[in-house]
Order: sequence, then structure tokens, then C-alpha cells
Amino acid sequence: MSKFNNFRSYLADNLEIPNDAFSDNFDLRMHGNKKVIIENHTGIIVYEDNEVGIKTNEQNILIKGSKFKIEEINSFKVIVKGEIKEIIFSKE
Amino acid sequence: MLIFKLMYLIRGYVLVRLKDANFEKIMNLLRKKGIVMWDIEKKNDEIKFKISYDDYRKYQDIIKETKMETIKKKGFALNLRKIKVRKGFVAGIFILSICLYLLSSLVWNVEVIGTNNLTAKKIKLVLEENEIKVPVSQGSLETKSIETMLYKNFDNFKFVEVYVEGSNLIIFVKEKNIEPAEFKNNEPSSIVSKKNAIISKVIAKSGQPVVKEGDVVYEGQTLIMGIIKNKNSEEFVMVPSDGIIYAKTYYNFEMKEEKIRDVNISTDSSKVRFFLKINGKNVKIIGDKAPYENYTYKERTIAVPILSSLTNIKIVKSVYYEETVKKIEIDENTAQNKMKVAMYDDLIKKCNNDSKILKSSINFTEDDQFYYLRAQIEVMEDIGESVKIYPMTDAQDEINEENQGG
Repeated sequence: MSKFNNFRSYLADNLEIPNDAFSDNFDLRMHGNKKVIIENHTGIIVYEDNEVGIKTNEQNILIKGSKFKIEEINSFKVIVKGEIKEIIFSKE
Repeated sequence: MLIFKLMYLIRGYVLVRLKDANFEKIMNLLRKKGIVMWDIEKKNDEIKFKISYDDYRKYQDIIKETKMETIKKKGFALNLRKIKVRKGFVAGIFILSICLYLLSSLVWNVEVIGTNNLTAKKIKLVLEENEIKVPVSQGSLETKSIETMLYKNFDNFKFVEVYVEGSNLIIFVKEKNIEPAEFKNNEPSSIVSKKNAIISKVIAKSGQPVVKEGDVVYEGQTLIMGIIKNKNSEEFVMVPSDGIIYAKTYYNFEMKEEKIRDVNISTDSSKVRFFLKINGKNVKIIGDKAPYENYTYKERTIAVPILSSLTNIKIVKSVYYEETVKKIEIDENTAQNKMKVAMYDDLIKKCNNDSKILKSSINFTEDDQFYYLRAQIEVMEDIGESVKIYPMTDAQDEINEENQGG
């Protein structure tokens, strides 16, 4: 994470502004282990029945599980549905 | 998500199939172009997803380049585009809308309630004179001004209400009851008895009373004579008689009431029959005539817009309600009350309005089949009735004199 992005994230936290709106950080939300909503992504790396890889500005997110289906994808948000077992964050 | 899907169901979407090893790359490309994809499913080496119809049309070149296959197109907007092609269908809907508008927004018939046919025709004539002719738009009708116009044109209307009901203009009219002018004349007359009675009181305002209190008089007997002696000339002159003669009259009543009576009770079943009424003749359309043994019958005429106003054809709906006959035993009290009411109704018809019952004796008896009422009512009432008297002509005088001489 770049220093400038760190600063923006710090500022957003202190000013109580949504972090993803002010910085390049992604926003990840889970509904149980059935649904993952990732905002501020930059694309899909991999899409298989048992894993979905999503690229963000500074990290890659690898979701492992089964019966994956991408419910919606647009330039800002991706919604993945299925039985989620594992989420792995890795540097590019 | 539901709102999102619903929105694209209205705007239209396309289901596409992509057979490419690097489909992630293509998806990222589409995403960068701003294309929204949803319901992405992977099966073996192909993926299926949905995109909006607008994006599909806009990025036709990319879709061709990436060799995407279109599986199906769906959405309300797409159906509308199909409708555009079906010109006859659109024209039909347009004509139907116009017909519906015409039938529902125009008044096709003027119905006058509460008066005879002649006045109804006059009302319609007045409306036509004031340029209210059917068919007329409901919006252009001002019911209040029509009411005012009718009040102005017809003096004998007590109440007028004008309103639009469906495609009918209803004019409800209540006419004034024309009170007959009091008839006063100076023709010579006498007052005679209407009934057999015993005189109680004689109030003679004009004329010579010929009966006194306690006299028994018979029907047609003179009570106040219209011939009086002139005090100055000692001649007899004829005058109009006026006065009130109160007398006691007696009424006897004998009535009977059945102990067991047949009563019609309606069942829930009914049958409808439709027929056409053409120039007073009935032509059956649906249903049998008199489908039940015992029934009550109701009839309603349905005026068909346009057809009924142009021709004399009407549809008549008749309903037959089935009834069963049941024997009901009437108890003594009810029967007695019923007979009493009937007796007093009868008495009111026979007497004057200002009559007064003095005495009444009512006896009830019964046998196996009937209840009986025997009553005698003593009533005080005015029994006088005015009759004209005519002076004798010269010719009649001569005949009388001849008769007396002979």
C-alpha cells in the first residue's frame, strides 16, 4: 500500500468518511458464507466453479469454495455467490 | 438485485454465451467499457451471462470480435419494438381505445323519470332547442344549468335533478300537484243526507233546516232546504244551502280469516331468460319460459347504446324466482289483529275524514276452519251532501197546472 493511500485511509477513518470512497482500498462484505460483495475492484483474474480470483489496486483476493456464480459485475462492484470456504489475500 | 433484474426485464436484456479459454480477459474488457454483466455461470469451458439490450446494440463490434453467441433476447421494450412492426395490431388497439372513449365519455340517451311520456318528449324538445342533442360529450354537460333551464321552461316542476349515469343523462322530475280551485257558486241547492242516520246537531249557515236533533233520516232525505220565504215580499226564493249536519251512523262488519293459509316462500334458485323486444314482439334468445311451477317474475329492459336509439330493438332480461307453497297456521291473536285492521281500513273508506267513533262493539268467534269478527261501530259524522235545485221553466209550470186541474 502506497504511503499516499495510507494517508488517505487514515484521514478517511478520522473524518468518518467511507474508506473506499476516499482511498483506493477495496471494500469487502460477506453475507454469511454464501455471498461476497467486493467494491473498488479492478477485474477478474480467475473464474472457476471452485475458485474466483479478484484483482484490486494493491492486493489480489482469492475466494475458494464451490458452486460459484458471479451474480453481477460492473466497473465498481462484483458480487460472488456460492459456498465460501476460504478467502486468501495476496500481494501482486 | 430484484429491482435491478426487474428494471432490465423492462428495458430488455440479452443472454449470451462465450466459448473462449481467456474469458476472464474478455470479461475485464467488457467491464472496462462500462458493460454491466449479471448471472454469470460457468459450465465446462463456456460461460453464459446477461447484458443489457442497450449495451448489446452499442458494442456490437466487440461482441462480434469476441465471437459471443446470442442465446435469447428478452424484455418488455423488445416486445414493444415487435409491436411497432405489427401495424394492424397497433391500429386495432388504437381504434378500440377510441371506441371505448366514445362509448364511455359520450351521453347516448336521455332518460326522463317521474313524469308522463308527453312531458318527457317536451323536455327532450327543450333540450334540443338549447342545443343539447345526443350523442353529447359528458364534459360539456352542465347539469346545474340544465336544471335551471328546465325550471324556467316548466312552471309545474317542483323538483328537478339532472345527473349522468354511465352513458345516460337522467332527468328526475317531480311535478307539482295542481290543486283544484275551490268551486263556489251561487246556484240554488239543498243539502240531503248521504246515509241513514240519527241527527245529533244541525248547523245551518244558509237555507232552511227541515230536520232537528233526534230525527231519524234516510239516504237522500232533505236536511237543509234551499227554498226560503222572503220576509219582505212573502215570496219563496231559492238560495244556495250551506251547513253541517252531525249525525250518528252505524256500520256493521262481518269478517273471516282462515286458520291455515298457503304462503309462498322463495327458494334460492332463479333462472334468467333473455329476449329481444322488436316493435312490441318478443323473440327469445336464451332461457325457457316459466321454468318453475310456482314463481315470481321480474323484468328489466336493457337499452343497447346506439342500436336502441336508432331502432326500436331492446333486450329484455327476465328473472324467474322459484317459490314453494307452504301451509302456515295463523294464531288467534294475529288473525284478530288482521281482521281489526282490515275493518278499520274499510271504515275509513266509508266515513269522512272528520268522523269520530263513539262506540264500538267487536265480537270474535271461531270454528274449525275460520276465525270470525262481528262488529258494530257507532260513528259521529257529517252526513250532508249538496244537491242542485232547478227553478221550474214556464212549460213545466203549465204541465203541472194541467195535472193539478185534471
